Amino acid sequence: MKEIWRHIKDEVNLIYRDKGMFLLVVIALPLYTLIYSLAYGSEVVRNVPIAIVDDDNSSESRSLIKTFATGPGTMVNYKASNMQEAQELFYTKKISGIVYIPHGFESNIMAGREANIGLILDGGHLLLYRQVLEQITKSTLQHGAMVELSRLIKRDIDPSTAKFIIEPIAINIDNVYNDTLGYGTFVMPSVVMVIIQQTLLIGLAMAGAQRDNKKRLTEKYIISKVLVYTTIYGINLIFILGLIWNIFGFANIGNTLHVTLFLILYIISALSLAMLFSQLFHKRESPLMLLLWSSVPVLLLAGVSYPREAFPEWLFDIGRLLPSSSGVNGFIALASRGATLSEIREEVFTLVILTIIYTTLTIFINKIRLNKANF
Amino acid sequence: MVLIDNIINVFKYECLKVVKDRLYLTTLLVLPFVTILFFSIIFNSGLIEKLPIVVIDHDNSHLSRQVISMVSASPAIEISEYATSIDEAKAMMRRGRVYAILLLPEGLEQNTYGSRPSSIECYVSSTNLSASGIIEAAMQSTLQTFSSSISISTLLAEGLNMQESLLEIIPIAINAHVISNPTINYGYYLSPFFMFTSLAIFTILVSIYAIGRELRYSTSREWLCHAKYNVTAATIGKLLPTTVIMFAYSQVILFMIFEIMGLKCHGSYILLALGTLLFILAYQAVAIVIISITSNMRLSLSLGGGYAVMAFTFSGITFPTGSMFTIADYLSNIFPLTWFGEIFIDQAMRGSSPTYSIPAFIYLAIFLFLPAVVMRRLRGISLIPKYWGRE
Repeated sequence: MKEIWRHIKDEVNLIYRDKGMFLLVVIALPLYTLIYSLAYGSEVVRNVPIAIVDDDNSSESRSLIKTFATGPGTMVNYKASNMQEAQELFYTKKISGIVYIPHGFESNIMAGREANIGLILDGGHLLLYRQVLEQITKSTLQHGAMVELSRLIKRDIDPSTAKFIIEPIAINIDNVYNDTLGYGTFVMPSVVMVIIQQTLLIGLAMAGAQRDNKKRLTEKYIISKVLVYTTIYGINLIFILGLIWNIFGFANIGNTLHVTLFLILYIISALSLAMLFSQLFHKRESPLMLLLWSSVPVLLLAGVSYPREAFPEWLFDIGRLLPSSSGVNGFIALASRGATLSEIREEVFTLVILTIIYTTLTIFINKIRLNKANF
Repeated sequence: MVLIDNIINVFKYECLKVVKDRLYLTTLLVLPFVTILFFSIIFNSGLIEKLPIVVIDHDNSHLSRQVISMVSASPAIEISEYATSIDEAKAMMRRGRVYAILLLPEGLEQNTYGSRPSSIECYVSSTNLSASGIIEAAMQSTLQTFSSSISISTLLAEGLNMQESLLEIIPIAINAHVISNPTINYGYYLSPFFMFTSLAIFTILVSIYAIGRELRYSTSREWLCHAKYNVTAATIGKLLPTTVIMFAYSQVILFMIFEIMGLKCHGSYILLALGTLLFILAYQAVAIVIISITSNMRLSLSLGGGYAVMAFTFSGITFPTGSMFTIADYLSNIFPLTWFGEIFIDQAMRGSSPTYSIPAFIYLAIFLFLPAVVMRRLRGISLIPKYWGRE
């Protein structure tokens, strides 16, 4: 017990004295979480600015335009007098889409001919693209349905059949778990889990370059490390999930006990990989230079921010060797979708296995190093 | 001319250091290559397809099976599971095995044949917005097509001909035209930004390291001596090898994007190349500022690295800056990536006329003047031993 206590004091002292280490393992997680939350915190893309070129200028065209403006997705910020003017607005990045209503729009509708509108979209930003396309399509369909209904009734089709023709099968698409489509709720869990792993990796590798690979890794020493780092990261996570998550309104419907147990397992698992890395470096600047770039690839390998179905499966499987992939997927299932620990046993099992493998490897490499040093 | 001689002198001195230092060599030459390769593989297809969903068919009729086969024909969706109850399906979705549930209610066929409206329910898990958006769009268009085919057959039964029926169900047609990235390829759109973010990370780390190691290993006086104590010449000569290599890598990235992945460059390649050069120089300028102020290599590496990684988020490429909180929108201006991103979208994707990119070029150029503020301090800390040897 005394020995563990001594190790704990040593470790805390080391973190406290070394500015770089303190920055990485204590400050970085809450600070980055806060900064990223600022970027994603508003959560939704609404009222995307578009321009309208209305060559018809009729009551029909005006009432259609009104539906674009009142829908949540888009906002008609500009009425351009011709296409050239509208394109100028597009190239100066003031708008993300152009709707063109040609001359004869109303008379076509009145005469029962096909009426057209033109829509110019920007594929250079997919979130904006989707928002504009969705809103314009939806508004036009709704407006079209009204036109259709009055025409069908004119044709002496009885009203109930007419209604059926307009919508024989209603399509109800419901978004669940993140019903406001919050962007922060989508990406922040992955970001936080990856930052936990990466700061542990770089932080411990940095400390190890100076000290650990010359010191014997006893059971008690390892236990003391687990205690120190789960405490630091645990406190930070309480701050993040308890405060930042609530301030920015990121979804959390998880069972507190299950989430807590899983996070502890994840921290220990990431720590086991970090301890392995702490055996590998000689210069204290090396981990930053050699590991920092990997944060973005590691995030992608988890297969969430960019869905795993979009890239080769072998790449996803390689990613599973890192605790972060199971950590990200498990945490989102638990906290955002309210799964139970037993439902994500695959992730839990993977984390346990990884921890065992990395710890064994660490002790093994440590022994070899010390034997070499003795000769 | 003396200035140029001094720069060349330090440049040679630095090249020798690069070759001798394995860490320097790895970060400068090997890792950027690995990163570019990684992003090329992960974004190679660029299409988000075959997203797994679960189907509950309570109707179990000819009509419901028709719906299922239409949905499974959509390239975006793969029906990977069938469930008998909503609870079973929900459990699959919670675990993350499927992204959505398609529920075909009992009586679907009977209602439809009796000209009574019915409904199909689809629950999409939006904890993954990339996947849910694609499923929603595919589901909407597939089911809409199916629903329209029922409308048409009803209209035909009412005595209209085919042309009249089509006109009735689509009174207003939308002719959509997509400027830049018409195939909506995620790879085209994301990989350039990921690759240039990584390039920024390596540029800033290596530049900080190049200067920082002189302080860390107490050799900064020797370094300045090679430029006859002209700190400007010494700095330019020192960072020049990094500029050259990173610029070469930026051309590799552009080659990958335009020649291998197949994005068409719609605007001026020369402007784009000039943009990448300014982009690299801007990050080097920030590196000079950071190391001069802190005079501590490891702290500078942490700060510089964090700054470079963060730029991706604030460039607005995933979540648009216009929708961020005002403070975050302002913050996005302090990252060269944001401005380079504008140049890239203008010149590579939209083919805008050069005049539209002028503001972004000016913003990038402003970064290059930042080191002027700290040059005196850099000379000072390089000459005074009390700033040396900090780990």
